[in-house]
Parts: sequence; C-alpha cells; structure tokens
Amino acid sequence: MALDYRRCAQEIVDHIGGRDNIAQAAHCATRLRLVIKDNSKVQKDYIEEIDGVKGLFESNGQLQIIIGTGTVNKVYDEFLSITGMTEATKDDVKAAAAAKQPLWKRLLKPIGDVFVPILPAIVASGLMMGLVEALGKAIPSFAGSDWYGFLDMISNTAFAFLPVIVAISAARVFGGNIFLGAVIGLAMVHTNLLNGWNVANVDAINSFFGVTDGVIPQWHLFGPILPIRLTGYQGHVIPVIIAIFIMCKIEKWLHKHVPEMLDLFVVPLVTVLATSLLTFTIIGPIFATMETWVLKGAEILVGNVFGAALMGALYPWTVIMGLHHMYNVIEAGMLGSVGLNTWMPIASAANFAQFGACLAVGLKAKNHKTKVVAVPSSLSAALGITEPAIFGVNLRFFKPFIFGMIGGIVGAFYGALTKIGATAYGVTGIPGYLTIKQPLHYSILLAISGGIAFALTWTMWKEPESEAKKAAGDEKSPASGDAPAPEDTQKRTAGEVVSEVPLGLSNVVITSSAGDIMKPVNGEVIPYTKIPDETFASGALGQGVGIEPAGEIVYSPVDGVISSVAGTNHAVGITGPNEQELLIHVGVDTVMMNGDGFTTYVKEGDKVKIGQPLLKFDSAKIKAAGHPNTVVVLLTNSDDYEDVRYGENLKK
Amino acid sequence: MKEFKYTITDPVGIHARPAGLLVKEVKKHASAIKIANKDGKSADAKKLLALMGLGIRQGDEITVTVEGDDEAEAAAAIEAFLKANL
Repeated sequence: MALDYRRCAQEIVDHIGGRDNIAQAAHCATRLRLVIKDNSKVQKDYIEEIDGVKGLFESNGQLQIIIGTGTVNKVYDEFLSITGMTEATKDDVKAAAAAKQPLWKRLLKPIGDVFVPILPAIVASGLMMGLVEALGKAIPSFAGSDWYGFLDMISNTAFAFLPVIVAISAARVFGGNIFLGAVIGLAMVHTNLLNGWNVANVDAINSFFGVTDGVIPQWHLFGPILPIRLTGYQGHVIPVIIAIFIMCKIEKWLHKHVPEMLDLFVVPLVTVLATSLLTFTIIGPIFATMETWVLKGAEILVGNVFGAALMGALYPWTVIMGLHHMYNVIEAGMLGSVGLNTWMPIASAANFAQFGACLAVGLKAKNHKTKVVAVPSSLSAALGITEPAIFGVNLRFFKPFIFGMIGGIVGAFYGALTKIGATAYGVTGIPGYLTIKQPLHYSILLAISGGIAFALTWTMWKEPESEAKKAAGDEKSPASGDAPAPEDTQKRTAGEVVSEVPLGLSNVVITSSAGDIMKPVNGEVIPYTKIPDETFASGALGQGVGIEPAGEIVYSPVDGVISSVAGTNHAVGITGPNEQELLIHVGVDTVMMNGDGFTTYVKEGDKVKIGQPLLKFDSAKIKAAGHPNTVVVLLTNSDDYEDVRYGENLKK
Repeated sequence: MKEFKYTITDPVGIHARPAGLLVKEVKKHASAIKIANKDGKSADAKKLLALMGLGIRQGDEITVTVEGDDEAEAAAAIEAFLKANL
C-alpha cells in the first residue's frame, strides 16, 4: 500500500512540538533535515513508529528523519504545506544548526579542522622529539653527540616552524590562498626575529635585573604606539589561526572589490601587508601580554596544593595557546632557588591525563581514521608531547579534553601533596622518570592522572554517530532506503577527514543554453578529451567531462527522466531539461564486467531530482578488472547546442 | 519504407561506444531511422540514449526501419555499418 504522505508529515509535525518548534526544514536524498528549537518537545520514540519513518537521529544540531529515496520529497512537500514553511536549502539548515551550537563549539571547530590534516607532521615530530629528549637525558654522552644534534633538529622542525604548517592548513580551512597563508606563517618565524622560545628567558633575566625595556629590540612603525617586539612565534598556534582568519577575510574582500585587471598584484600584496601589520602590532602583543600573565599566574598557583591542582586543569589550555614553552623559565627558577623542580610533576599529570583520554578514544573509536590518529597521538603524549593528542583528538571531541583536565587536577594535587620534584627540566610523562627524585610517587601520579582520564573517557565519551557511521564496512546500501546524503559520502571517501569540500552538487561541470549539469560524483574533473578511451576522448559521443572519482555513488546531476539504464548497471542515460541527453558511464570498458560491482537505484522512466543517488560502483573491483574507473559525463547531443562549456566549477 | 533485420554479434551489444558510432552513422542520412529490439520496442536511432535504452545484447535480432528520401542508400549504408561493427 502506498504511503500516505500527508498523514506521515502531519504525524511528524505533531510529534516534534508543532510548527512553532521548527526553525528550518530541508531534505536530502533520504532524510528530512530539521532544525528544532526545543529538542525536549521531540517525541523520538513515537516518531520512529510513524508509518513511513525508517529511523531518526540527531547530528550536528539537526534532527534527521530517515524516510527514503523517492518518498522523502513527497513527505517534505506535505510537510511544507502543513506547516506553511518555505523551502530551505540544506545550506540554510546547516547554517541554522551551526548558529544553534554553543559559541565555544563554533570556536573550537576551526581549530580541529586546521589541525587534523597536519597531524602526520606533528605526530612524527612529537614521537621523535620525546624519544630524542629522553635519550639525551638518559645518556649524557649522547646529548652532546652529532647524532643528537641532528635528530634534535629534525624532530623539532615541525614544532619550531609550526606557524607555517598551521598557517597553510588554516588558509585552506578559511578559504584563502594557501601560499599567502604560508608567507604569513613564515613571517611569524622569520630568522630576523628572535626565537620566541628564548625570549621568555631573556624576559626573565631582564625582570630579575629590573630592566623593563630595550634588550629585546623593537620597531616603532607608528612612533610611540604599537611597537613591534622582534620576537618570533615558534610553537604558536592560536595567534596564527587568528592571523590567517583575518587574512582570508581581507583577501576575500579584496577579490570582490579590486578590478580583475589589477587583482593579481594588488590583492596578494595588500593582503600580506595588512595581515602582517595587524598580526605584529595587535595580535602578537596581546598574546605576549597574556604569556607574561600566564607565567606570573602559574608561578603563584604552584605555591600551594590547590593552586597546583588548578594548574593541572589549566595546563592543557596553555598548550592550546602555545604558552607552555615558557614554563622552562619557572622550572629553571625553581632549580636555581630550591634545587627541586616541583613544576614537572604538575605538567606530567596534565600531559599524562591527556594521554589517557586520547588512548581511550583510540581504543573505543569505531571510525578507522579516528583510531589511527588517536593511538600514535596518545603515545606521543605519553612521552610528553601533547599537541597531537590535544588538537587532533581530545579537543575535537571536547569531552575527552575535559576528562583529561579532571585527571590532571587529581594528579597535580597528588604531586603537590607529596611534594615530589625533579632535578632537571625539559621532559614530562614517561621520560620524566629520568629526572624525578621519587619514582614511586611519580608512578602513582601518572597512574592517577592517566587512569582517571582514561576511565572517564572510556565510560562517558560516545563517538559521535556521524563519525561512527564512517567506520569501514558499516555503510548501508542506499537501496535499503537509507542512502547516505551526498556530503556524508564525501566525508567518508575524500582523502581527508576535515575538508568539507563544497558539494559536487553545487558544482557545474557542463553548461549550455539548455541548462547546467552538476558534478555527479566527487573527484577530480578532467575534460572529455583526457578520458583514457579513444571513443570518449574523440567527442563522438558528445562533449563533457570525466571525473576521477573519490566517491563511489553517482548522484543525479540534473532534474530529469531516466532514459536508459545499461543492463550491466554501469551506465545511465538521463534526459534533462530542454532535451539534454546526458550519459553517465562509470569506468572505461566496464561493460565487460557484466554488472559485477555495480548497483543501480533507478530504472528507465523514473523521474529523478538533482542529488538523488543513481548508481553505486566499486572502484576496487573496477581497478581489479583492469579498467580505469573514470566516470564519464557527456552531453551526448552537445551538437544541438552552440554554447557548451565544460570543466570544474563553471558557475563559481 | 525499407526494413531489414540484423543479429548483433558484438559481445557487448549496442552499448555506449558502438551505439555512439551507430548514431553518428545514422545521422548522416536524412531519412527517419528506427531500431526495434527483439521485444518490439523501438527507438529513434538518432538518439543515443534512446538507442541504449533498448538494451540490445549480443545475439539479439534487431529490426531497422528506414523511411525517407534517401531510404534505399541509407538502409544499405546502415546494414553495411552493422555488419562491420556490430
């Protein structure tokens, strides 16, 4: 029996708190995507029982109700007519959902997005740095060797020049030119500036002798106001992300307002100059001042056990700010005055707690990508280098970060209570054994902090559903009515976890007076002439593009009618608006595969909408059969139109 | 009107590439040319997608009908093309 769309829509409206409780509504290939004002009014159990509803879940601030291909649009139409709402695009819903997220989440998201792609660089360096430093402490003769010098240099490269890596990644996340981003990052660690890691020591010496100004050279670009201290931003993260965020805003604004003829020399020049000025005169000094406060604050805090416990919680935040490199000053001061570094156990507790939390994520996560990042990151954290664990894992999921803070509090409290300390500085975590005076208490401290963070994360952290769904082998076939929305597929199949590449479906690859044809599958676009097949490349079948697919589902690139489906399921013909005859052919010579590795979701005569899944293919099988998997998209009657253009992002 | 039958020998049938070549050949002629598959479903042979939609496989017998001013030579040319390519 056919589904009563109106009744289904009516029941949904009734059980999500009525029209007044809906902020926005959209639908994708299979789901209604709703932004709800008050989630407590949503009767989830009831909705799941409604005839036509196949399931529901919450993700990214949206309530997603799975209805199924071909029916969701009908239910959606009824939904709109019942509620009197107007159609929202998926982007609108996403924006509304993003706006609904708390501010701190919106601020943290870009940090995670920036950091995940650069993790390989800093995980490698973090592990190597931890090992090299530990070896240097354990074997004094090694510390003076050429090998030590070499390994030390290689391992700290990524951290010393972190601003460059962060800048490039941030420019990509915020949509700016990555090379301009690299320039800003490089400027922040330019060799003409003093190494930021050493400056804190200079400052400390200055304040000891009562010198307040003059030792660190300054530039006075604007006379007395806003002097620039010639110090680099080694190891910094947040100032760089802020600087690049501003850079991208400036760059985009300029692109809009500068005439195209002048664009190439005006935009980059003004962007770099304006960003550098802002960075060095305003962003930099704010952070320099904060650093001083943090140092002073930390020194006061560690004077008593409760302060130390608090410091155990605050420590990872200072890692986020990139301020933890300054703590050597405190440690050196302690060793100079009382001969015992009681700071180290506090830092160790904080770091080892992040290790525990990160390890728990790594062991618990189902998502393969999360796993392979979290496990090595946690090892690096155990050796005292916590950036990969914090930025790449804990902060991204946030709860593990908080649990890490709790572990840090308890561990630091224990450390301060037992008054344990080290005889040197520079290492924490496991290598801390080399310098600690009371290894037994130190073991307990590590066990407490790491253990608490691990246990809390293990029991109370849940992998976000959207992440877990990306786990390998866990994908449902769209034929079952639960097609992944196009963006889900992209996330799962794109090379990186982070980049929310603009949907292929807003990307016009063929255009003519007859209409636009979108990109039906994620991947790299090549002109038809480059398709690895003589017939396709010759244009005999029409003009168009090939796509080297990164995804494995072909979505309809137009609204139209299916005019043919190959018996072997590897090709689909669609008649689009104005008689456009479109052929989507997956792979070259794949007809030989006799349908193995291909599934179609449509049949001849079906009406399809843009974004509806048409067919699914198995790239691995195509390759195994010895064929290119290029997805061929051709306007077969391109001869009928005089103004056909093809390529990537034609309408951007 | 001219009509003839032909049995497909190409292992992949009238699929994308052979179909494209066939359409090109057919378009050379002014006559209206239709191809029907073994179930009697017919399509305009000048339309690639329609042609592919017939799902013609190896061993299928197709019926080609040609109607127009140049029907005699068109039918001959298409038959020759089919024999050479399909």
